[in-house]
Amino acid sequence: MDRRDFIKDMALGSLIAGLGPKLMAQAPKAAGLPDLAFIQGDSPAKITREAIAALGGMNKFVAKGDVVMIKPNIGWDRTPEMAACTNPEIVKALVEMSLNAGAKKVVVMDNTTNQAQRCYARSGIQAAAKEAGADVPFINPRRVKKMAIKGEWLKEWDVIQEFVEADKIINVPIAKHHSLCRVTLGMKNWLGAIGDPRNQLHQKLDQAEVDLAAFFKPVLTVLDAYRILVRNGPQGGRPSDTKLMKTVVAGADYVAVDALGATFFNIPPAELLFLKLASQKGFGEINLEKLRIEKRTI
Amino acid sequence: MKKERSKKHRTLQLVRIAIQIFFIGLFIYLLFGTHFSGKDYIGDVEVFFHFDPLLAIATFIASRTAFAAFALAAITVVVTFFLGRVVCGWVCPLGAVHQFFSWLFKKAKLLRPKKVVTGGLAWKYLILIFILISAIFTLDLVGFFDPLSFLYRTSVTGVLPAFGQGFSMLIGLTYNLHLTGLGDRLTQFFETLTINSTFRQGFFIGLIFLGLALLNMFRERFWCRYICPLGAFLGLVSRWNFFKLKVDEEKCIKCNLCTLHCETQANPWPDNAWKSSECVYCETCAAICPTAAITFPVKGAPEKVPAVDLSRRKILLASFLAFFSVPFFRISQAGKRAHEKLIRPPGALPEPQFLKKCVKCGECMKACPTNGLQPATTEAGPEGLWTPVLVPKIGYCEYYCSLCSQVCPTGAIRELTVPEKLTVRIGTAWINKNRCIPYFLGRPCIVCEEHCPTSPKAIKFVMAETKLADGSVATQKAPVLDLSLCIGCGICENKCPVMDEPAVYVTSVGEQRSEKNQLLLPIAPDQPEKK
Repeated sequence: MDRRDFIKDMALGSLIAGLGPKLMAQAPKAAGLPDLAFIQGDSPAKITREAIAALGGMNKFVAKGDVVMIKPNIGWDRTPEMAACTNPEIVKALVEMSLNAGAKKVVVMDNTTNQAQRCYARSGIQAAAKEAGADVPFINPRRVKKMAIKGEWLKEWDVIQEFVEADKIINVPIAKHHSLCRVTLGMKNWLGAIGDPRNQLHQKLDQAEVDLAAFFKPVLTVLDAYRILVRNGPQGGRPSDTKLMKTVVAGADYVAVDALGATFFNIPPAELLFLKLASQKGFGEINLEKLRIEKRTI
Repeated sequence: MKKERSKKHRTLQLVRIAIQIFFIGLFIYLLFGTHFSGKDYIGDVEVFFHFDPLLAIATFIASRTAFAAFALAAITVVVTFFLGRVVCGWVCPLGAVHQFFSWLFKKAKLLRPKKVVTGGLAWKYLILIFILISAIFTLDLVGFFDPLSFLYRTSVTGVLPAFGQGFSMLIGLTYNLHLTGLGDRLTQFFETLTINSTFRQGFFIGLIFLGLALLNMFRERFWCRYICPLGAFLGLVSRWNFFKLKVDEEKCIKCNLCTLHCETQANPWPDNAWKSSECVYCETCAAICPTAAITFPVKGAPEKVPAVDLSRRKILLASFLAFFSVPFFRISQAGKRAHEKLIRPPGALPEPQFLKKCVKCGECMKACPTNGLQPATTEAGPEGLWTPVLVPKIGYCEYYCSLCSQVCPTGAIRELTVPEKLTVRIGTAWINKNRCIPYFLGRPCIVCEEHCPTSPKAIKFVMAETKLADGSVATQKAPVLDLSLCIGCGICENKCPVMDEPAVYVTSVGEQRSEKNQLLLPIAPDQPEKK
């Protein structure tokens, strides 16, 4: 048994041993609504649907007539098997679910690192999201405006306006290795919703992530861990840098999603600075034992 | 006498204009199509260059190697041999551009041909001779004067960026008028065009074009008459001229309009002095003739020698000038040591061969997705002016892209598949520890490591201690280079958050195409490094 399995088992064990009786005591709520859905299976689209269903369905997050922003990681000029960008099937499933839930419009976009046209095309996300009926615009320089972030450290920065204009934001990061903050999960994904020179934020990257996450406040975070990048992140370059996990983690508590995601890299959540900072601010729960996690394999 | 213009030739004239517009459209279509559009391989967007016999011959002579794609140029030669310079008058997009300006200046009454002009026609032949003689001495100057290279380079580095700026201003205007929906749509359309908007010499290259366009105020199609070496070459090739100009002396009223308004000084009248090697079959003379006296009947016999006065003295002079100019174009540091900023696109031939083949057309600069390929200024010496160099501060070499190598019309950049391209080293990255944030300021950064595209990464990190101004010591992850893995793509330099002078930068040393510009030498394993 390696450390990752141990941590997962600990988390699930405590769920059953510690929270189990409590859950049973509050049967109606517990049966319907876990904090996190932890779904494994062969089809990225199916496990995504299952995860959202486990959380109570997309209607719980998207209301009729909403403009929904779905924010995948499209940062790199890499094809899906490199696990540098979010799995396109997961994005597509979320677009379809949002539209089915009555969304007026679904927008999928990212401020890419490599040339946008290449990232959008070669990640497969542009085609998948458009097929499902989403708008997939490129960053419009005239729709990037300086805004008050009001974070602990980050007071103001250029923000891509589509993100603040949307009624609901769904964050769809991919779990990847990253040298500076060890892993990049949901909170790091917000660097794709802001303007340049965002590279300067690396001087205090963990705090910047936390400040940005609190600013954007996603209603739902769906972590793509179908194929994760375990080394040479955040863009990899060889299929051998990736690891097939066939997993999706979803939840309304974006800190909790990242906390569970950290365990895929054998990192206890409390060891990650950005999780610690977010937890101290009370943005979410990083103690997996306190979370109700519904784990299923389909 | 019956005064009536020829309807037939007026129609032919209109057909010619329509065909010119078609070819200009084709040129623009291929120009705009030269960028990444979802596929790794782009197709033959540069094919029109291969119909250009001047490029074919000059690069063949200069490089001593044939490039198979240029076989298409034979079509142009054969057509010209039998029909004369119809390519100049009906097909060439630069010719059409100059004719458009001439027409404009005539309409604006800035150009009013009043008396018959003679002379000057020899210049373009001398330029041609100059180019070919210097090519014999391996100096390839054809790119500066070839009309297709000239127009494409100007379009890419001067016209398109200006168009982009203009389009951007238009979008700004829509937002100012609160037409947000329209502005958004225009922006998305504009993004899909992927116009490279930054070129170091775009302004000057554009200015040269503007100057040449303004010369049409003095003489109609100034470039075509006096400068174009391709026109000169086709003039020499034209022999048969299947359709020969004929003036019906009985109808002719000797008004001289035809000769005054001849676009290329081909002298339709008088005295049977029509210069068939200058005629581009624009049909202007036949259409303008008030008595329809001019026709172009089919006449089988081959033509006499071209009528332009090319004295042996002039030819010798041009040849000698070319011969003596070659060394001047070679005055550069290139012969001594490699230039650190001379970072060539992946697949570029070794420098001497590269210079013999590159025609400075700018295809690679148009195809480059990051705008990183820029016209060289002094990096490659005078002969290398406007050849492509990668300027990482403007744009880096995109890892999975080999478009520049695919679109090069002469093979100066060898065509690479994407997997081949991944292994090509074009330079080496260096870290300036005096400016690097972790090394100098003791703060976190390693953005360069994050962006390094190779796997494993050429930029790794170590924990480095920095003494700060207050005497304390900071320990941070700091970048180090594994030179054996670095391909010199320059994304590290491009993304370095030290905005003005990046703390990591690429130089040409280690470039795969050079034998001498190397740093890492194979050290035998029986000589281990010792401390």
